[in-house]
Amino acid sequence: MADLAANLATLLLTALGLLFFVAGTVGLIRFPDTFSRLHALTKADNLGLGFIALGVAFQAESWAQVARIALIWALALLAAGAVAQLVARAALARREAP
Amino acid sequence: MTAWLTLVALGVLASLAGALWRVWRGPDPADRMMAAQLVGTGGVALLVLLAPPQDWAALDVALALALLAALAAVGFVKARSPDGAGDPEEAPPPADLARRGDDG
Amino acid sequence: MERIRIKAILHRSALLGAIWAALTAPSLEGLAVGILAVPAAVWLSLHLLPARHPLVVWRLALHLPRFVAGSVTGGIDVARRAFARDMPLDPGWVELPVDLPDGGRAALGGEISLMPGTLAAGSHEDRLLVHLLDTGAGFDAAIPREAAEIAAMIGAGPGAGQGAGQGTGQGAGPGTGRGAGRGRA
Repeated sequence: MADLAANLATLLLTALGLLFFVAGTVGLIRFPDTFSRLHALTKADNLGLGFIALGVAFQAESWAQVARIALIWALALLAAGAVAQLVARAALARREAP
Repeated sequence: MTAWLTLVALGVLASLAGALWRVWRGPDPADRMMAAQLVGTGGVALLVLLAPPQDWAALDVALALALLAALAAVGFVKARSPDGAGDPEEAPPPADLARRGDDG
Repeated sequence: MERIRIKAILHRSALLGAIWAALTAPSLEGLAVGILAVPAAVWLSLHLLPARHPLVVWRLALHLPRFVAGSVTGGIDVARRAFARDMPLDPGWVELPVDLPDGGRAALGGEISLMPGTLAAGSHEDRLLVHLLDTGAGFDAAIPREAAEIAAMIGAGPGAGQGAGQGTGQGAGPGTGRGAGRGRA
């Protein structure tokens, strides 16, 4: 019974995560300018990763694995926030170059 | 559950492929730098999805990738900055930022 | 200054110790190596990034759930716009004066880049440059509130003494950035 509930949670959460990855890609392709595309990529993909990590965590066999998944997610979150700023700034700096 | 996770991983891979179309087309170098962001999130998601069927070994790879993705992105952006080595913050932003269109 | 240092040692030991535990958890030998590795890492971190501001941990703990909720809203918002047939976007820029030390400003930038509709593009002369996905949606109203919360968290700036709930502690109220700094595509 507990197994069934965990599998159901994994099913729903990973599907939701995939949906956000697709949303990020759709935004990246459709949005009209670089900065808006960066919004789509950063926010949607990051949420997608969050849901996928949470979904997979329901399959974990020990708390150690859950902790490691949480650590991966936290690192990816930090990276996303930092990289978004860097790329946005690089795009901005390039724009006024002759 | 293994089949499902593999299926989702395939979906993420397909979505990464779609995103790589933008990296390929550009047009702005910043659009290409987003590849770093893609690897950081998409690649990590793939590895996390593929971890349970493989005795969770891929989780360590995901961890290393999550760590290195940020550093790779910093290197990527710095290599592209105006003087080739510096901080993008060094360059002042366009003076007419507020009135400038966003698709230039 | 000494108090800040001691607090920093405690906080960083806890953080790095938790990371070490997560990395090595099932193996006891691995945990044992942490007895050496964690203090070494704490020493190195203090050397590379000296503690300058006292971190108020409970404020950080209160802040995290709100940040996670904000980033979920941000993802949903951008996904909705991406899938919408008419793609409702009205991109533009806003500049906000932000009175935070460099690290705090980077944290603020990363945070708002994951929250709905805002994307930091670095700063220029103490003004944070923020790209808005939809200039009409009022996304930028959240920024001064986040800035005040971060300031309170690191005990810096005029917002430090005030409650985390008071959004205007930074002197950068929601209206300040408009007018001069705001523009649309």
